[in-house]
Amino acid sequence: MWSELIMMLPRDILTLAIHNLLMHKFRSFLTSLGVIFGVGSVIAMLAISEGAKRAALAQIEAMGIDKIIVFSQRPPLDGQSDGNSDASVIERYGITEVDVQHVMKMDNVDRITGLFNTRKKVLKGLSRTDIKLVGADRYFMEDTPCDIIDGRWFSPSDFKNKLNVCVIGTNVKRQLFKIGSQDVVGSNIRIEGDVYKIVGIMENSYGTQYPEIGTQSNMIVIPLATARAHYNDYAFFREGNTHKIIRVVYDMLIVKVVDLMHIDNTAKRISNFFEKAHGSTRDWGIVVPFELLKQREQTQNIFTIVMASIAGISLVVGGIGIMNIMLASVYERRKEIGTRRALGAQKSDIILQFLLETVFLTTCGGVMGILTGVGIAKIITMYSGMPTVYSVWSILASLIISCLVGIIFGTYPAYKAAQQNPIKVLRSE
Amino acid sequence: MSILAANSQIQNIVDLRNITKTYVNGELKVPVLKGINAAVERGKFVGFIGTSGSGKSTLLNILGLLDNPTGGQYLLEGIPVESLSDYELAEIRNKKIGFIFQSFNLFPYLTVEQNIEVPMLYARVPRKIRQARALELAKRVKLGHRLGHKPTQLSGGECQRIAIARALSNNPAFILADEPTGNLDEKTSDEIMELFHELHRSGVTIVMVTHNPALAPHYDKIIRLRDGRIESVE
Repeated sequence: MWSELIMMLPRDILTLAIHNLLMHKFRSFLTSLGVIFGVGSVIAMLAISEGAKRAALAQIEAMGIDKIIVFSQRPPLDGQSDGNSDASVIERYGITEVDVQHVMKMDNVDRITGLFNTRKKVLKGLSRTDIKLVGADRYFMEDTPCDIIDGRWFSPSDFKNKLNVCVIGTNVKRQLFKIGSQDVVGSNIRIEGDVYKIVGIMENSYGTQYPEIGTQSNMIVIPLATARAHYNDYAFFREGNTHKIIRVVYDMLIVKVVDLMHIDNTAKRISNFFEKAHGSTRDWGIVVPFELLKQREQTQNIFTIVMASIAGISLVVGGIGIMNIMLASVYERRKEIGTRRALGAQKSDIILQFLLETVFLTTCGGVMGILTGVGIAKIITMYSGMPTVYSVWSILASLIISCLVGIIFGTYPAYKAAQQNPIKVLRSE
Repeated sequence: MSILAANSQIQNIVDLRNITKTYVNGELKVPVLKGINAAVERGKFVGFIGTSGSGKSTLLNILGLLDNPTGGQYLLEGIPVESLSDYELAEIRNKKIGFIFQSFNLFPYLTVEQNIEVPMLYARVPRKIRQARALELAKRVKLGHRLGHKPTQLSGGECQRIAIARALSNNPAFILADEPTGNLDEKTSDEIMELFHELHRSGVTIVMVTHNPALAPHYDKIIRLRDGRIESVE
């Protein structure tokens, strides 16, 4: 019965719905505003949060989810170092060779890439620039999200023979060489009296920032063995007027695990080890990208729930507005309803007609809302550069939701319409 | 459906037996119809004539199954309608009664063709048949060339013709016309009355309710109402 009805009536009802919509263009528009903004904000916020999520996930994943990063940090100064003049000249802290050997022996640890920041300043013309000269193990390229875009990575013999070779980041190349320089690979640079031959150029296109060290694009990397040969673990640097010597053996360790499932335990074991070995001196830190990922997802879920509630409220408000206007419409159209009843319309026919009209109205509002949301997201991307991502899923869901709003808030007016007494029409002028 | 089966044996399309209607307004009881006995025979053109306050509108609503009498019996083609459900009443209005209104009551947003099709839509008549029948009826009221127009593009007389075509669409047992010439000028009224006569000649039963005594000469049977009672039957 109903399916038959649905098959036969649409042309009539759709014509009617469109007519009513167009007859009261402005009113329909105002009526739909709640749904338009509700759906629009859902779409825009989903697009923005999805974009932000993907960017953050890409960053975190780029650090490598099967890695644990342990880094050295300068311990906070206590008052005591004032009296001890020696301590202010030489500072020794951070991860040691012994630490590395211990971590290496732990279960689930595959391999460790050590980094040593020489804190050398690179001379370019007359100005000293803030480029980091970093000694790295051979797996550095493999275990970090970094690509050689020109030249090559160090060969085993570079490490073995402690050769003065280097791989520079793309930003470093931009700083040291003119744009369009062809023969960067193969040329030499001078770093505080030492000459290094450039064998490759690397780029970190994910923008990964490592604690204390930053991104590869801003580094010059040399073989760790070469760094040790030249500088051991000494770093000289100037702070204000005083010169300092800092001795840090490893500035960062990238620990690759065998089984991602147990990365939490491994990280905990490493933490426990360092706590015991370094005592109260907090000269180290640990980052587990996988943990960050999970935290990020949790925050994301909370954000989504908050967003959904806001959108839900605006949809409810919009739905009430629509119900209000449909009730007014039922009153205005008593004569039409009565005529239809006199011509043989069943109550169910009247209900279906008004329900479909409401659903048509809210769905139109939904479509406009989707366009509004996409527009808002586009504008935000344009002005703030924040990436936005629309999913087919979110658009479909919005359409279904606006349809549902029509059904939920159209039922009562439709019922009211069917209850109208047809007698009133015959002589009502 | 049994209740809808046409019974050609029954001569009285409409048979009203001692119909009363009393409106209750709190303590106040207002009797509007005080025992109406009347019949409309098959193929007749019957006019109910009464001034306002005569109970004419109430009777019209009862005849059109839009209102229930307080007492008495109404047989429509032999069917006692007071026992029918809301659903069945709608079905009878749809298939057995062809409503014609004073102000035409066409749907302005539908074309002439769609307007004629409305009762057939509610009777679930398939689209092809609907369209063919709409064309046939439009030709019958001499507006076959106007199918695609909207009612607002038509004159009052043309609108009423379309309304008549609409009333005929489900081949009803009778046409129930409520002051059909009330909104028309004299010349157009005459044309519409002529159309009713044509329908009458082709065998359609017509019940017309009016206040206008000038229309009396048109009817086979004139039932005059006064103060809720039948004053005379001619």
